[in-house]
Amino acid sequence: MNSDLHFRESNITIFKLFLYFVFSVSFLIIDKNLEFSNKIRKNSSYIIQPIYLVAAFPSKVYKNISIHLASKNSLILENKNLEKKVFIQSGIIQKIPALKAENKRLKRLLGSSNSRDSSKILIANLIEVNLNPFSNKIVIDKGAIEKLYLGQTVIDSTGVLGQVSEINNDFSIVTLITDPGHALLVVNPRTDKRIVISGTGDNRKLKAKYISLNEDIAEGDILITSGLDNIFPEGHLIGEVSKIDRKINKDFLDVTVIPSSAMSSNREVMLLW
Amino acid sequence: MVIINKIHFFVSLVLLFGMVLSLLPMPEILVSCKPPIVLLILIYWSLAHPKYINLSYAFITGLIMDILLVTPLGYHSLCFTITIYLILIYYPQIRVQSNSTKMLSLLVILIPYFLTSTIVNNILEIEYNIIDVVLSILISIIIWPAMFNMLRFVRQKYTS
Repeated sequence: MNSDLHFRESNITIFKLFLYFVFSVSFLIIDKNLEFSNKIRKNSSYIIQPIYLVAAFPSKVYKNISIHLASKNSLILENKNLEKKVFIQSGIIQKIPALKAENKRLKRLLGSSNSRDSSKILIANLIEVNLNPFSNKIVIDKGAIEKLYLGQTVIDSTGVLGQVSEINNDFSIVTLITDPGHALLVVNPRTDKRIVISGTGDNRKLKAKYISLNEDIAEGDILITSGLDNIFPEGHLIGEVSKIDRKINKDFLDVTVIPSSAMSSNREVMLLW
Repeated sequence: MVIINKIHFFVSLVLLFGMVLSLLPMPEILVSCKPPIVLLILIYWSLAHPKYINLSYAFITGLIMDILLVTPLGYHSLCFTITIYLILIYYPQIRVQSNSTKMLSLLVILIPYFLTSTIVNNILEIEYNIIDVVLSILISIIIWPAMFNMLRFVRQKYTS
């Protein structure tokens, strides 16, 4: 009798295993591009956001404490450095209106279309949680209330970070340019050649794809966004070519690019309109 | 009946805590080889109460993990379901083992988990590093005895 019971139970377990296996696999097939789960996440953002905030709480506390514990001298020193930086940068910015006007005039002479100009900048804070280790995504604390849109460009002070890939009410998810599923078209200003850059999953590395063996590219070349993908505005810094591996038996060059932005170690990011 | 409700309440609470733990920000070197804490918690509870903490628990927890970690829906639930199924088959044997043998049997049980996640990674073209996967298994085996004792303390204090 007893063994009979056990037998029935294990039968139910196998049936359940089969059922859940089928469910999971069909979910995986439907949701390969995260469309379905984005909808669920949007509808349950009131439950998810508190969990994110709780997970981000310790690092927030740590940062607040370290601000309070900073000594007066180090703050004065930091302030001095920042003042110097602002002074130099405002000196550089003086020239920009003139350059803009000149650029516009030259473009009109060439007959090319006017590039998009970012007019508004919003600063967003990072919610510091650690998502899936195999994808490079960050969570920011601005959402649909601030009128974000999908594909919006996210930058930090040194370069392009990525694009907004999912918007919820009061938080959104940004896919970094180092995500393995992300690619964008950049331009090498030295040669004006366009290059496809895709992520590797490693936050300190990008790779340039489909560059033929005889192409003119050198270590130290700076890459900027081309504006041709209709996602990223033109002229933002992406990174620097760090290593070129010429293998004679391969069709393309192995080019490694180091991104210029600090990726997920930022505390604040900028959203462009 | 009261005890069953108590078990469900505390298991959900501990699982929620595990989810928060797995979301906690970490240095970048540790991120890719972090152990599957939520799965370890599930393994413990299904060893302790295989009748109540069954495959449905594993499936639903996996779905919640997918939503929290922004992975394709079904990724974690598939891996969790397969692992907990192994536990449900072998729990009588694992329960009587000594601590060091338990670590070994955990290794055996975690290998299918990482195998399924690797296969899914390959099919969905998610890039991963095989060294990180191996490190993650090793770390979860090392932290297992401490976790086991901690969770046993919770179980004995609150759910019996």
